[in-house]
Amino acid sequence: MALEWSGFCMALATFLGIWSGHVGVRWIEAHSVRIVLPIVLFMIGGIGLNLYSLFAPNLVLAGVSSILGITFIWDAAEICRQQKRVRLGHAPANPNNPRHAAFLQHGSATCDDLLDREPTGQPVVVTTADANARTSSGDTTDHTYREVQI
Amino acid sequence: MNTEGIALGIFTLAMIGFGFFWVIRLEYHLGYLWWPYPLVLGILLVVLSLFLPNAGWSALFGIAGAVFMWGSTELKEQAIRAELGWFKCNPQRKPDPPGVQWIKRIKPPHM
Repeated sequence: MALEWSGFCMALATFLGIWSGHVGVRWIEAHSVRIVLPIVLFMIGGIGLNLYSLFAPNLVLAGVSSILGITFIWDAAEICRQQKRVRLGHAPANPNNPRHAAFLQHGSATCDDLLDREPTGQPVVVTTADANARTSSGDTTDHTYREVQI
Repeated sequence: MNTEGIALGIFTLAMIGFGFFWVIRLEYHLGYLWWPYPLVLGILLVVLSLFLPNAGWSALFGIAGAVFMWGSTELKEQAIRAELGWFKCNPQRKPDPPGVQWIKRIKPPHM
């Protein structure tokens, strides 16, 4: 019995597309001084891949290129959302990035990754004031510890 | 022109959107410890896609399977987001999944 590999190829494209976007968006947003260029590049890549899928010679190539193209367009939007998360302190800021350094000085941004913990089953209160004060004083250490109070 | 590829891309987008919905609802009502069940469902869908006679249906099953697998890796983070107050936190005790004693021994997948 011959196996139908189309679905497996699409599954691989979907999973790797989401995973690479998930990791890539965070890295690119943290290391780009301006986010306009990566957003434009992701949009161009996404639209280009979708245009290619219209003329692809078979279903697998058409599907895989469109799936990756759509995830690229999604990633372009996610870069904006990631910047908002950093500004709100929902994602760690990079103190070496001037854009993030400004967030750290003005808002509730933090260098700590608040998601780097185990669920407790109870609501938690997070103290970011200490982390902000530390960053404002020029401490650019990569803080891997957590400041979570129950 | 081949529009089937774009249709599959839009289906992927819809499935990812649905993934956001069910991850939030499942974590709220059942808790993150249920993560193996969407993972197994996703793996089953991908395996099933190999045995379907039609390439289009196989593609749909494969995409749906991959999104369920990804969703299972998001449940633990979603639980933490809810505890931090970024999402609505369910104050009631959540039901244990079948096999909870084995599930607790395994570290939840996280990307």
